[in-house]
Amino acid sequence: MNAEAAALSVTNLTVTYGESKVLFDINLQVQPREVVACVGRNGAGKTTLLKSIAGFVKPAAGSIAASGENLVGRASYDIARMGIKYVPQDKKVFSDLTVRENLELGSYATNDYNWDKVTAYFPKLKTLMDRKAGYLSGGERQMLMIGRAILGGPKVLLIDEPTEGLAPSIVEHLKEVFRELAHNTSLVIVEQNLPLVCAIANRVYAINEGRAVAELVDRDAIKPENCEKYL
Amino acid sequence: MKQAFRWWQGLLVAFSLLLVMRVFLPLPFVNEVLLFSIYTIGCNFLLGRVGFISFGQPAYLAVGAYATAFYLYYFGTNPLIGIGWGLVAGVAIALLVGPLFVRLRSDYFALVNLALTVIIFFLMQKVLVEYTKGDNGLWILTRMASTPGIDISSANGFFVFAFIVAFLVWAFYKYLDDSVFGACCMATKMNEVKLKFLGYDDFKIRLLAFVIANTTTALAGSMYAIHVGIVSPEIASPARAADPVVVTILGGVGTLYGPIVGSIAYTGMKDVISKFIGNWELVIGFLLVFIMLAGERGIWGTLEPRLEKLLRRGRNNGEREQPAKVSP
Repeated sequence: MNAEAAALSVTNLTVTYGESKVLFDINLQVQPREVVACVGRNGAGKTTLLKSIAGFVKPAAGSIAASGENLVGRASYDIARMGIKYVPQDKKVFSDLTVRENLELGSYATNDYNWDKVTAYFPKLKTLMDRKAGYLSGGERQMLMIGRAILGGPKVLLIDEPTEGLAPSIVEHLKEVFRELAHNTSLVIVEQNLPLVCAIANRVYAINEGRAVAELVDRDAIKPENCEKYL
Repeated sequence: MKQAFRWWQGLLVAFSLLLVMRVFLPLPFVNEVLLFSIYTIGCNFLLGRVGFISFGQPAYLAVGAYATAFYLYYFGTNPLIGIGWGLVAGVAIALLVGPLFVRLRSDYFALVNLALTVIIFFLMQKVLVEYTKGDNGLWILTRMASTPGIDISSANGFFVFAFIVAFLVWAFYKYLDDSVFGACCMATKMNEVKLKFLGYDDFKIRLLAFVIANTTTALAGSMYAIHVGIVSPEIASPARAADPVVVTILGGVGTLYGPIVGSIAYTGMKDVISKFIGNWELVIGFLLVFIMLAGERGIWGTLEPRLEKLLRRGRNNGEREQPAKVSP
């Protein structure tokens, strides 16, 4: 695999929180327009992996590169400007701002005011433009966060537990959205919902206690029962 | 056109009411309200938009006032140029201390600004006494030349000038509130880390907000120097460090017209209550406790949503009363 051409390449990544090591020599490759999933139990280090890529956690060792450009040592906002967007797990939007203002923040940062693509993925947002984001449901917040992140045409979307706590109908909708997004963008999804992961991912990394214990690349091998074996 | 009018209408109503005040109330009171409003709007912006509580506003007020006073005492006679120097000094001090201060959390930010107030106070009172004339102050009233058009060295002329400046300041802050920058400031207050996810450098946003707010405060200081005609270290007194915060809370934190309403209430209470009670601050103290317990929204913060509801109901009734259009 050619690391230079990869949309995202993580090599021997080690992360520590103080004295304790949380990620051990993680290697991860994401090709352009590929959907990569990281699965693992709570506390396995999946979120730390995404935060390290997004520049919020400084690695102790290893390298992270996007399209050949080094990301380690860069400020998190700089990494976002390079088109590596992180959608966190907590679904916390800017609650005192309206949906419109939340999207404006995304637009101003990227100079992309084409909201049609956002509302094409999430038509419901059209009717919620003037509502304070704090009054949105969990699903609507997730739509807003992903909608905001896709402005500017990101190269890589890092999405942390996108379906956690959402109704099955919304999960189904998100599944379709991720499939559509993958036509233009690489996705790295951290998720515990194995059926969803197996339905959309081209590559799955199983992470256990900070180590990548398996990499499934064959579509036939990417099945919930195969993933479960490593968790 | 209709949208543009809507944008201006709140400002026009607010400043028309200030003009009406001028008819019924003494000129010094109205001038003080205008100055206090400009003094407070920066503090209101920092607290309401960025989430920074500042007990250092007297420091920035003093920097603006002294820059104007130095110019008029030592170098020139044109008060407008003096105000220009006040603005330059405001930007300079904010850029000098801002990169250090805006890195701090709100509680430490409040204290470090208070420390700056103490430093400026002693600089003006003791260290630079040769230039500042210490507690005697710099007398500039008789050194000001009259300005063409509006003579701001006269009380009436100053009112017209302060009124125009206040209107422009409010239009600027309304623009900021409605702009993406205003939304960015709100976003830093809510969650600065999340703003980084979108590609924003939250430090630069906080620094710019800090410079804007404190330059406005310095402008108020410059205008105060022109209005009163003397600048002494008392202007940077740490004992008055809480005044702008009190007015901000009284008026309504983060509301556009809160500083005006708060200034009217504060100056009014000071004037009226001090006639009957020596310790008028005691009444303000109790009032603040009441406001905090009643929901922290301040006077305008409580009135504004009710007024909006009333206006919306009136508009809806008006629309309902119109006869339905029947097409032939």
